[in-house]
Amino acid sequence: MKSSLPTIAGMTLAKLSLAVGAGLIITACGGGSDSSSNDDLLTLDNVRQVLNTNADIALAAYTDSVITAEALLDAIEALEADPTQATLDAARKAWLVAREPYGQTEVYRFRNSPIDSTDYSSEDGPEGDINAWPLGEALIDYVVVNDDDNDDMEPEGDFGTDQVGVTDNGLEVGDVTDAGAYEITIDEYNNRENIIGRTDIEINAALLANNATADDEHDVIAGYHAIEFLLWGQDLNDNGETTEGDDRDEAVKTYGVSALASGGQRPVSDFTEETYGERRLTYLKVATQKLIDDLTAVRDGWAVGASYRNAFTTINSEADAQEKLTEILTGMGTLSEGELGGERMQIALSANSQEDEHSCFSDNTHRDVWLNAEGVSNSYYGVYAGYDSDLDGVDDVSTNAVDGYGLDDLLADAGKNTLKAEFEAALTLTETNYKAIDTQARAGSPFDVQIMTENLSEDSPIAKTILALNAQSRIVVDFAAEIGVDGSVVVDPDASGCDTENPTASCD
Amino acid sequence: MLLVVTPKTQRLAVTDIVTDKLYFRTPASRRLSAFLFTGIFAGVFVAISGCERSVPEAEQGDKALVKQETERQALAARFDLPLASLPDSEIASFYAGRALAHQPWVKAPSSTTARDGLGPLFNARSCLGCHDKGGRGKMPVDETSPVFTALLRLGIEGLSVEGNQQAINHEVSQQLGALPEPVYGLQLQPQSTALSSQLGIPSKEGEAVAEGDLRIRWIFSDVVYPDGKITQLRTPEVVLRSLNYGPLHPDTRMSLRQAPGMFGMGLIDAIPQADIDALADPDDRNKDGISGRVNQVWNPVLQETVPGRYGWKANRPDLMTISAAAFADDIGITNPIFPGQPCTSAQAACLQEKTGNNHEGFELPQDLLELTVNFLRYTGAPEQRELSQKGKALFNSAGCQSCHHPEYLVDSNRVTGNQAPGNRVPGKNGTGTLRVGVLKVSPYSDFLLHDMGTALADNRRDFIASGSEWRTAPLWGIGLQKQISGELSLLHDGRARSVEEAVLWHGGEALMARERFIRMTAHERQQLIQFVEAL
Repeated sequence: MKSSLPTIAGMTLAKLSLAVGAGLIITACGGGSDSSSNDDLLTLDNVRQVLNTNADIALAAYTDSVITAEALLDAIEALEADPTQATLDAARKAWLVAREPYGQTEVYRFRNSPIDSTDYSSEDGPEGDINAWPLGEALIDYVVVNDDDNDDMEPEGDFGTDQVGVTDNGLEVGDVTDAGAYEITIDEYNNRENIIGRTDIEINAALLANNATADDEHDVIAGYHAIEFLLWGQDLNDNGETTEGDDRDEAVKTYGVSALASGGQRPVSDFTEETYGERRLTYLKVATQKLIDDLTAVRDGWAVGASYRNAFTTINSEADAQEKLTEILTGMGTLSEGELGGERMQIALSANSQEDEHSCFSDNTHRDVWLNAEGVSNSYYGVYAGYDSDLDGVDDVSTNAVDGYGLDDLLADAGKNTLKAEFEAALTLTETNYKAIDTQARAGSPFDVQIMTENLSEDSPIAKTILALNAQSRIVVDFAAEIGVDGSVVVDPDASGCDTENPTASCD
Repeated sequence: MLLVVTPKTQRLAVTDIVTDKLYFRTPASRRLSAFLFTGIFAGVFVAISGCERSVPEAEQGDKALVKQETERQALAARFDLPLASLPDSEIASFYAGRALAHQPWVKAPSSTTARDGLGPLFNARSCLGCHDKGGRGKMPVDETSPVFTALLRLGIEGLSVEGNQQAINHEVSQQLGALPEPVYGLQLQPQSTALSSQLGIPSKEGEAVAEGDLRIRWIFSDVVYPDGKITQLRTPEVVLRSLNYGPLHPDTRMSLRQAPGMFGMGLIDAIPQADIDALADPDDRNKDGISGRVNQVWNPVLQETVPGRYGWKANRPDLMTISAAAFADDIGITNPIFPGQPCTSAQAACLQEKTGNNHEGFELPQDLLELTVNFLRYTGAPEQRELSQKGKALFNSAGCQSCHHPEYLVDSNRVTGNQAPGNRVPGKNGTGTLRVGVLKVSPYSDFLLHDMGTALADNRRDFIASGSEWRTAPLWGIGLQKQISGELSLLHDGRARSVEEAVLWHGGEALMARERFIRMTAHERQQLIQFVEAL
């Protein structure tokens, strides 16, 4: 089911004509307090600048995504050439870096742009093969089956009585280490009913591809998270206590090699054992090459002169301008509330589940939150600063950085200072809160620790970020209202009945 | 130009937008924060104490308070939106519930423990996978692609058994609505988590393979109006390309059923049963040719037979049961109400598959089931577009409203379900009420069973519903469906591609209404259809 695979998501693409249609209707009562005409926001030259900057940022961020994915492939080939802890750590680090630019591109989803659509209308884009989640890891490689009789896995041990465990049919699993982590002992796991284990299955790009046109093809087995699973393995540390340094609580204190102690603990021997080690390396290479190919296709859709980019940046009327701005706003609003705030964060909280997080194998979810939200901010300010290549939280690769004309400039030039101030305050509040998630993660409490019941308080940055994202999406809706009032497009007799000075009054 | 601006297609309620503006402008309240912590995270399990409603009488008649409840606005057309006046305190709950309905389940075991346990046999990976954006499913255009958003219900009719087995069969039918096919059960599950099924490779001994490959072939026919106009109809012929567990029992009855829209269900839920009972006329005492029966169905929580209201044959009694049943049967997710895996005793490999059960034996624990139910409960309904008086008069003169009962007044407090102990998790819901007084709810259905004639009959019993009886389908939102999924496929098996086709299929008790429709002038028919599409 393509519609639900895309990054958790599947708030699938709405037909943008409808998006625009609904957007227009919103404007019926969307009066703001500024006195200037809404037409100013739709000044074609200004909107063209917004669109071109928006496209420039997309091209830059997807270009960096391709570059970092290619670096990931290099690291995997180095791992293949000489499988050691050092080369495995280097591959993991390359994966973390690859997420830095990609996370900022997610704001281009939900708007029929090349990530979701190859022709600006069909829902046939490669997103489902790039970033889909949750992963069908049991189809890929061995997974540890928790033993219900094992006291250390009692759900109340860490996550309260509603932590969902996994029962089994009596398969033996590895021993629990002193640190509270499971030691994955492959020899004890005899279930090879997965792609790595079934040596009769050829691992190639076609196997990994989810046929975008077929509904419900198969569980997710491609993309960033499949690679993540093969590099890290399952994160089986169910214990939030600080340990000798290999538990996730010690986790992400820095982004040096010690950070890699967080998340899953797949042993190097997984890559050196006969047959299966080679198959894992093959899987990693095939999946990464496919990722590069898919990202390249998306990037090329945004290249100057590409048909999508031409269609997106070409406007000849205020209706066109309104339509294209609505596409940008749809990506921003949908990502903010429904996708990031709702599906990527709230569900992990509400399910109170350790691993119901975006990057659960690597414990990198705090970066997903940051980068997704940063992408929304990028669209607003018309800025892309590049990405963070050394994982210290600061963007240091600015080769493709963009600083252009954003929605902030559009609002300023239209004199919409109230909305501008509201928008920026909302973005700032979100930033303050997602940075707090990151700070806690770097201090040793990754996302999956932060959602633990005993770690929740009214100051929880996760809850505050969700609230901030919701508030931010309301401003996006306000913006949509601001650009909609146009007599030539909004054929709504009720529109003139609205007292925009008094937004609470009925427009009947 | 690839995009089309359609400004008049979806009018949202201006009054509700004002409400939303207030909501949107209100800073995040401390109340919401408190709710988040005491509610979402508390994870309190609640004994299922029943779904009995004891709601204060609605303040009927106070027209000043009557307000049509609709959805919140969104930037894109969709049905899975919260009620316009849903209080802030319930918004987080709504989205968490939607996430559960939306996100794909995966094969167990998986690190995402709260999302694993798919199948082993299943129809879809998520609720919204079929109920696309909260709306109806889509039918394949021909036999080349498998059926995805409709499922095939199975049942055994007229099983000739004697003595003890007869009594057992009676009890099974009383609880399941029909006798399951001995190997395949009550519905065909064309998908499986088995590696072979997932990857399309040859199966191995001992794999829990998918049950079969369900396709349909359309049979076309023409209807000629008295004025000479011809309309083509289509009817699906079920094609089972493979049946991996052997042939079906010779007495098997099959019923193809489309995924219905699931918006506005909390509003439907708020309609008092007495209001529906009042519309029933099982013996046609008013001699209008229309009976209307309340289905009598099993409530697995109360363990007793109660009135049915949901589903194509009104075979489910409440939101909790229909949600739990869909999780168990369609996605293969065990839950406190239906704790069994979707395998019959004849499917040994299926029964031996690893599960995603928690220590209590559920893949979806009670509190998460409640969240999903709240999502259903809190999903709004689209506002009516411009209704023409002429179209309405034609609708009524044809007699459509006899079954497509236009509206109900309900107590808005009922919508939150805060009076229903069985549907409540302390602190999670029940804290917020709509507080908008009396609501006007306009589903255009009486939620009763009617004999719709032999052409539509599936000949499969479902509780007391006969093979030719169907529940009156609500009409609201029909005109928006095409915008949401790009397709309109109406009636239980999706055969009707337009409102007109759906009307033409009406038979049995609805035959007279159909006759009046076809005798209208073309212009009148169009006005009637436009009215329905604006509901």
